[in-house]
Amino acid sequence: MIKFYKHRYIYFAISICIILFGITAAFINGIQLDIQFKGGTILKYTYATTINAEQTEKIVEQAVGRNTNCLLQSNMAKDEKMLIVSLAGNEAITSQEQEAVTSALTKAYPDAHLALSESLTVEPFIGRHFFTNGLIAIALSFLLILMYVGFRFKNIGGLSAGTMAIVALFHDVFVVTAVFIIFKIPLNDSFIAAILTIIGFSINDTIVIYDRIRENERLLGKKVPTEELVDLSINQSMMRSINTNLAVFASITVIYVFAQIYDIGSIRGFALPMMFGTISGCYSTICIAGPLWTMWQNHKKKQNGIKPA
Amino acid sequence: MNSKRVFFVTVLITAALFCISIMGLKIGNFEIKGADQMRFGIDIRGGVEATYEPKDLGRTPTVNELEAARAVIETRMDAKNITDRDVTVDKNNGKVIVRFPWKSDEANFNPQKAVSELGETARLTFRDPDGNVILEGTDVTKSYARSSQDGTDPCVVLDLSNKGAEKFAQATGRLIGQNIYIYMDKTPISQAIVETQITGGHAQITHMESMQAASALANKINSGSLPFSLVVKNCNIISPTLGSNALAVMILAGKIAFVLVCLFMLLYYRVPGVVACIALTLQVTGQLLALSVPQFTLTLPGIAGLILSIGMGVDANIIISERIKEELNSGKTLRRAIDTGFERAFSAVFDGNITVIIVAIILIWLGSGSMLSFGYTLLCGVIMNFVAGVTASRLMIRSLSNYEKLCRPQYFGARRAG
Repeated sequence: MIKFYKHRYIYFAISICIILFGITAAFINGIQLDIQFKGGTILKYTYATTINAEQTEKIVEQAVGRNTNCLLQSNMAKDEKMLIVSLAGNEAITSQEQEAVTSALTKAYPDAHLALSESLTVEPFIGRHFFTNGLIAIALSFLLILMYVGFRFKNIGGLSAGTMAIVALFHDVFVVTAVFIIFKIPLNDSFIAAILTIIGFSINDTIVIYDRIRENERLLGKKVPTEELVDLSINQSMMRSINTNLAVFASITVIYVFAQIYDIGSIRGFALPMMFGTISGCYSTICIAGPLWTMWQNHKKKQNGIKPA
Repeated sequence: MNSKRVFFVTVLITAALFCISIMGLKIGNFEIKGADQMRFGIDIRGGVEATYEPKDLGRTPTVNELEAARAVIETRMDAKNITDRDVTVDKNNGKVIVRFPWKSDEANFNPQKAVSELGETARLTFRDPDGNVILEGTDVTKSYARSSQDGTDPCVVLDLSNKGAEKFAQATGRLIGQNIYIYMDKTPISQAIVETQITGGHAQITHMESMQAASALANKINSGSLPFSLVVKNCNIISPTLGSNALAVMILAGKIAFVLVCLFMLLYYRVPGVVACIALTLQVTGQLLALSVPQFTLTLPGIAGLILSIGMGVDANIIISERIKEELNSGKTLRRAIDTGFERAFSAVFDGNITVIIVAIILIWLGSGSMLSFGYTLLCGVIMNFVAGVTASRLMIRSLSNYEKLCRPQYFGARRAG
């Protein structure tokens, strides 16, 4: 049996280190919002010959009079060259302006076989609206899960169980966000989806352990010290936690590997944080939520004058 | 029913449903579309999604106005031969959302231009040579192109409302021999000489240079009955080649993930592992049917959600199998172990699934764009998990425990020999 409660400070230290690392990365890299959330325009063209990015920037700036950033990208698997044009501005670019960009580029590079591959325009106002909506979604799921866990685990101290589950969830949300920041993936709706999925999935782990604690408490009675009860429950459900997480981790890794090889940006930016989130979800439940809940219970017992074992 | 047969019946039902979900089924008027005929989002099949908003209106447009805008956009799309489209009106936010595919055989199709042209719906006016408005676009109920009786002279026909007919009769009486100009916003798009006074409410612009030009003008006049012009605020264009590659890749990823998870379950849990694989097939089948029967749009994140729920779906089987193993190790008989295993595992599976349902519903409710599909496949996966991972699994395991050859605890992962 692994004594999770005894080693709790090691786990807390590890988690604090990861969180500090994430915060440092946020200061160095900054938190980037995708144009889905901050608004703007991105145009992607495939092309055949060679193109000069700086020259292209000037051509586009001349055509629409907006601050432009051009990026050239090539993809091994598809043998394709991609020109990515990003336009800034407080007002959404009109479709007429988009056309102007395309025609200016085809005029400037008549032999490049420029073809529009993808374009996305979001008005800043709507982008902010999406972003707020996403944050509301995350907050709402926290609240509902706290309520549900509190209700279902009344007899093992609903509030403490719910609160510690939420602490573990914050841990996971932090890890997922840190992955977005460290790998410089701009936050977009995949971010919201990844966070929500990890929340739903990670709380699963916590629930399985709480469920076991609830059952063991009935079986063994109240006399067993809380830490023994918790350690026993965690150990009993450990194989399940590891195996389930392995299955999920395997699925999401397959998605990531394929998205990486074939350059499917929308999926890659979502699968990588999910991979880390899966590990974090498993870890935070076993090493953070259980021991923290034990500490809370022991503290309560002490206050009530019962000596903790 | 003989309990031994339950397993095979469940397998057969799963196999039959799986075949239907992949290949489709058609009996008379009843049709379930196969997996290849699913309604894919524009990120898979390529296409355009644009959100139009009234330009400089300063208020939320009324439902009628939005419906008019929708009708106009649809008319214009008809004119462009875009039939497979989806035009929805967002009443609360006063927007018209237009989605249409960019087919891979349309090499000359310019999606950017199409988006602009659809939004070109502007204030349409008929003016006299001094620039006074004599007729508004709203006075025109319908406009269409027609060739004259001998087929040589293309013209545009205008049907006017009662009020419009009155105004037009008055104006044409005053302007015989002079030009009437048609403006879209501030741009003149056409002009015509008034030959006689037009009183009947039917006007014709004759001598158009071609039938094509006539129908183009008729289209523009039609959009003039819209009380405001539209501007594109959000727009997403994806080329069909980009999307179809991504689909093939994601399908392959899904197959590999499925095989990996199944292999793991078989090797680790043996008999309950076999049951888990069948349950997983049933779960995926249910998800596919939940997509194809109501023709719910499936996007790339939606497929990711499907693959993810393969991993999450086995959780129920893992919890149950672990529990059965434990009960066996504590000395129970196989039958008792299976029953108590399911009983004790159920509350954990139930609570776990409810929390995923909570986040999936939030995703569907508040998520934007392609994430809707992700929330939907996730939700269907969890609901199907109750059916497949819990109920069907229990039926199958109980049925299999009736076969004496399989009744060895080590086949269920227990330590002791049977």
